[in-house]
Amino acid sequence: MISQYLESLAAALSFDRSLSRRVRQEVEDHLWGAVAADPRGDGLETERSAIAKFGDPQRIAAQFAMVSLARRTKEAGIALILVIAGVFITMKTRIAWYAVMQCAVSDDIRAVLGIVGSIDRYAFWLSVIIGIGGWAYVCGRGIPAEFHPRYRNQLRRFRWLCTAATGALIVSVISDALLTALRLPGAELSAESLLPIFSIAIEVACAGLLVFKIRGITQRETSTAALLLKT
Amino acid sequence: MLKGHLDLIVLAALSAGPAHGYAVIEEIRRRSGQAFDLPEGTIYPALHRLEQTGLLVSHWVTAESGRRRRVYALTRRGERALTERRAVWQQFSAAIGSLLTGARPRGRPA
Repeated sequence: MISQYLESLAAALSFDRSLSRRVRQEVEDHLWGAVAADPRGDGLETERSAIAKFGDPQRIAAQFAMVSLARRTKEAGIALILVIAGVFITMKTRIAWYAVMQCAVSDDIRAVLGIVGSIDRYAFWLSVIIGIGGWAYVCGRGIPAEFHPRYRNQLRRFRWLCTAATGALIVSVISDALLTALRLPGAELSAESLLPIFSIAIEVACAGLLVFKIRGITQRETSTAALLLKT
Repeated sequence: MLKGHLDLIVLAALSAGPAHGYAVIEEIRRRSGQAFDLPEGTIYPALHRLEQTGLLVSHWVTAESGRRRRVYALTRRGERALTERRAVWQQFSAAIGSLLTGARPRGRPA
């Protein structure tokens, strides 16, 4: 009976596999401990009683969903900062590479580079400011015991900040890609063009990771609300 | 009403020392004179939440039964949070007590 209960609890927690594994082990220990402590001894009735005292798996899963959502949100806040830092390092490495390789730029594209470079700079620093704001906003808050409207508003605000920072970062990455395309000599691949292309690929992957994270917390918030509504 | 004070109750139960979930529930029952008989499953999300906010730490141990068991303990931050929340509760409790008995409160409730 306890195994069946643990299965249903693990299934209800399937939205977060690591949490599901951990909770399953904890609850298993708890339930067998409760059975062992029962003066009636082992038996189906004792197991049934321990399970009844523990509660409905859906209800417990809904409470854990809140904890999981809060963790994912904080992880997204940290990912935001790390990704922006990663893009910054990649950009600086590429610029250093251009300096080492002494890449010359013709006068006719210099003006275009200036305009795109300005867009790149402003977009990047905008993403830094909004990103730090988003991270500070989410990391400075506790995890409420209930999914009340105030908490939902906090999540919405954080998602907006994340989306704005990611949007600005995407503009910066596109500008970087454009700058790289303008700087690279011809369409042929050479040893000196490999690092700039690779660095752009890293920037694109970083921006993609952020989009993936934002999508993840949006989906988790929806599923948490649905789970809480059910219980 | 208990639900709103669950964090304080769990922190207070762990102030005696590190314990696993089942022992926390037993401690709550014992210290409340069996008055607090919470649905046992609600303790675990609270333990996880408090751990995530840095008020608790936890680690796995192997129990005598051979099963793996998660043991929770208060962090420094958790101890401070407990002290603060205890003080707030005592002020509040004193104010309510005074209100009900008609005596003047000694401090300002939070």
